Amino acid sequence: MSSSPPLARHAFTQGTVAILPLSLAVAPWGLLAGSMAIEANLSAWQGQGLSAIVFAGAAQLVAIGMLKSGAGLLSILLTTLLLTSQHLLYGLSMRPVVSGLPTRWRLGLGFLLTDELFALTSHHDQQQFNRWYALGVGLTFYVAWNLFTLAGIILGQNIPHLDQLGLDFSIVATFVALITPLVRSVPTLVCVAVSLFCSVLFSHWHWETALVAAGLLGMAAGFVCQKFAGSRS
Amino acid sequence: MIWLLIVAMGVVVFLNRYVFLEPRLPLRLGSNVRQFLGFAVPGMLTAICGPIIFLPEHQLNLDPLNPYVLGSLVAIALVLLTRSVLLSMLASMLIFFLLRSWLT
Repeated sequence: MSSSPPLARHAFTQGTVAILPLSLAVAPWGLLAGSMAIEANLSAWQGQGLSAIVFAGAAQLVAIGMLKSGAGLLSILLTTLLLTSQHLLYGLSMRPVVSGLPTRWRLGLGFLLTDELFALTSHHDQQQFNRWYALGVGLTFYVAWNLFTLAGIILGQNIPHLDQLGLDFSIVATFVALITPLVRSVPTLVCVAVSLFCSVLFSHWHWETALVAAGLLGMAAGFVCQKFAGSRS
Repeated sequence: MIWLLIVAMGVVVFLNRYVFLEPRLPLRLGSNVRQFLGFAVPGMLTAICGPIIFLPEHQLNLDPLNPYVLGSLVAIALVLLTRSVLLSMLASMLIFFLLRSWLT
């Protein structure tokens, strides 16, 4: 599957365009990641380094919060591992289309594999999957995330109570718009309902693995439902 | 110390993302596993949204007039009507902020 240059460029551009709404939706989180880093007495370079090297919003925000409260290196790393464990699932799911690519593509797309990249490419099978499209999605999102972090670092304390403005709704608005069209069957509806209920319950219980545990239970519920429906018909 | 932490976090996150993309990892996915993984997008994205909607500022809020709940319902209605992610995202955010300033 070696696309000729114009086709590759076309797919890359398509990916860039497809991720634009999600890149905008992540703006408040990027601003927050930047301004919180400065607030926690990290240098501007360290704040930017977090976004450039770690590139995982939730883990960055939690790590900064833990640093502020004086947590140790190991406990922060363990929390990071648990908080980002949903990526194991994404990797597993993308394995059929990505594991056969050359090493630099695997490493590159692996580094760029976020919730958002997964949401836009996971439904592609071997024929539909285009590495250039995925790269367009991933790189654009990476650049956007880092630019918003930079803006957060520069604006810093000039935005009062950024975390209380309700800007976090932007991610809900986007994800709801992505999930809703997928709910076309009873098993998917069950999956969403179980996942929603469990994520709220587990977060209320302050589980560090709340999201991935809730997601897995939702997926399991949907899967069981599908098997059950299949065996009856 | 901070830089060590940043790089170590980067390694941890990258390993989470990469490990199952590695072809030398001996693993074949059966049809059941693939069916299960087919629920990953609705399952995981919903789990990310849940706490933002019902635990704003880390406090449980099950009030149906919670602007996050109303905003999400508006977003669902809009995407069903318009089929456009961008349009429903922008419009539901606008409505969310209006609701938020009225209700609080």
